[in-house]
Amino acid sequence: MKFEVYLDSVTGKSKHLVELEKNGSSYKVSLDGQGVDADVILTTPNAVSVILNGAAFEFHIAPTPDGAYRLQTGPHEFHAEVRDPRSWLARKQRALEAEGRQQILAPMPGKVIRLLVKVGDEVEAGQGLIVVEAMKMQNEIRSPKKGKVERLQAKEGQPVNAGDILAWVD
Amino acid sequence: MFRKILIANRGEIAVRILRACREMGIPSVCVFSEVDRSSLHVRLADEAYFIGPAPSRESYLRIDKLIDVARRSGSNAIHPGYGFLAENPALPRACADAGITFIGPSAETMETMGSKIAGKQLARRSDVPTVPGTDDPIENPNDVQSLARAMGYPVVLKAVAGGGGKGMRVVPNDEAFSACWRDASSEALNAFGDSRVFLEKYLEAPRHIEIQILADSHGRVVSLGERECSVQRRHQKVIEEAPSTIMTPDLRRKMGEAAVRLARAGGYVNAGTVEFLVDARLNFYFLEVNTRLQVEHPVTEQVTGLDLVKLQIAIAAGHRLPFAWETITPRGHAMEVRLYAEDPDNNFFPCPGKIVARRIATGPGIRLDEGVYRGWTVPLEYDPLLSKLIAWGNSREETIARLRRALDEYTISGIRTNVSLFRRILAEPEFLAGEIHTKWLDQLLARPRPPLVPPGPGTQAAAAIAAAYWASIQPGGAANGPSPAAEPSRWKLEGRRSQLDRQP
Repeated sequence: MKFEVYLDSVTGKSKHLVELEKNGSSYKVSLDGQGVDADVILTTPNAVSVILNGAAFEFHIAPTPDGAYRLQTGPHEFHAEVRDPRSWLARKQRALEAEGRQQILAPMPGKVIRLLVKVGDEVEAGQGLIVVEAMKMQNEIRSPKKGKVERLQAKEGQPVNAGDILAWVD
Repeated sequence: MFRKILIANRGEIAVRILRACREMGIPSVCVFSEVDRSSLHVRLADEAYFIGPAPSRESYLRIDKLIDVARRSGSNAIHPGYGFLAENPALPRACADAGITFIGPSAETMETMGSKIAGKQLARRSDVPTVPGTDDPIENPNDVQSLARAMGYPVVLKAVAGGGGKGMRVVPNDEAFSACWRDASSEALNAFGDSRVFLEKYLEAPRHIEIQILADSHGRVVSLGERECSVQRRHQKVIEEAPSTIMTPDLRRKMGEAAVRLARAGGYVNAGTVEFLVDARLNFYFLEVNTRLQVEHPVTEQVTGLDLVKLQIAIAAGHRLPFAWETITPRGHAMEVRLYAEDPDNNFFPCPGKIVARRIATGPGIRLDEGVYRGWTVPLEYDPLLSKLIAWGNSREETIARLRRALDEYTISGIRTNVSLFRRILAEPEFLAGEIHTKWLDQLLARPRPPLVPPGPGTQAAAAIAAAYWASIQPGGAANGPSPAAEPSRWKLEGRRSQLDRQP
């Protein structure tokens, strides 16, 4: 199986092509077109151990609200987006989503305390839409694009979880 | 000894106290609000009672409910922990009325020693040095200005009703006095409805050093030595250690004696902390008394080998302190960092949420006091303290090396923590040299951050492989592709086929 991995860390962004081929109970791994000596296993429900040319790493992995992954190992952190190049349908949908209708997600769990717009309002990119309070701090959630507020899922006083859909902007 | 102890708190400190109870063979009774049903203190408790909605004023701050739970459960003692009601004299008073022992000082002691002005007056009476200044608010700015001149600049104006830096102005020189006076009193009026301010000598770059004391009800008061808590962010302690790097045996004896004198003068009983500011010439000045167990008490426990919570319980039960000495010399070095669910890259914004994975730090010289576990959602209603990571060793260097090692081992995913702040502090040459003061961290954070240690190419390659592998094992193919782990579901195949049919 082939995957495109878009990595983002303090050193910047990079793109890698990873191929995993099941080989008995383990995998044959190739990275950017070259076979590598890598052993990869799942150690605990959210941790992956990789031994690459003898160097051992353990990554703790958690999903992020934007559908990517956050990987941690020791002091290092990576943001990784993984795509399967064969899945053209998924990519097409993603592209449509990015340019068209935007979902506004709650970045943290909290409570909606104020709606700054109404359904049907025209908004500018960067304009505040909703105020979410978490631990006595107020955070304004802004529109990622210029457009019209299509739907408002959030209600004032409503508790929300990270990743909950609050509104759509089209 | 007590039949049962009610723990009027939550989180890591409730867990800490119930562990002490269990070691002493005393059943523990915990309380919980709506959002704490699944919290660790409730999971570990012998008995647990619901006390109301999430906001603390409707649950953890409700004295009536706590007394009611104590009665229903047959508890004859209450431990308040820190925060919430720990320094509210109304709780020991309600306990006394209900015939329950409060594990801490009496309400009267709390009032005389806990308040800033009353505490300062007591310190003066018991010959404990205080920061030079006025005891009482002064109404006439001209009188204050002449006093400031006599004392020598810089001075600081502080609101009588103040706290958190509001209504506080540092006056650098005589010319700036009237503007600072105006600002301080109007800010105090706006913030607290009380424009009165008092005057103190301003100490430049002082250290925060506190003395842990224990006092039994038979008149024995001992000092357990100091903790240095100079690393603070906006007046909140961030790292605590013992011993202090500037401590000398002579200074320790003097500060210990001053703290003991003050506790005696106030008739103090139980564990308490006397906070001091120490200037560059090792002059120390009384700051205030904390009439409770401190967050950073494990630091003292690690260098003295004593269990402060068990001693608190024994003192409250009327036992004598089992020591012959009045001051102690610490052994080795201990340091604590407070891990919070907050994002240091985003102005320390709180980041509550679900802990999806966790690997804890263990091994030589490491202690983890915490109230969290994998799968638990950190509630957004309370202080976002997750864990206290404590390291100890033979020397400060060994302790710091252990703490660094433990911070790399300790991984929490799903929420953000301030762990990167500690990595930065523990690498700062000034911190390593012990050249710290109460403004040091705020100054450090105002400086541009040194570049993070970049991951090596091997780490990067391994991360790409780990991410791809992780995506491949997600049910439903979270990588936007089919899952290789299982046969695709026939429902899914059928769904896809019908979708394809619809494409022109």
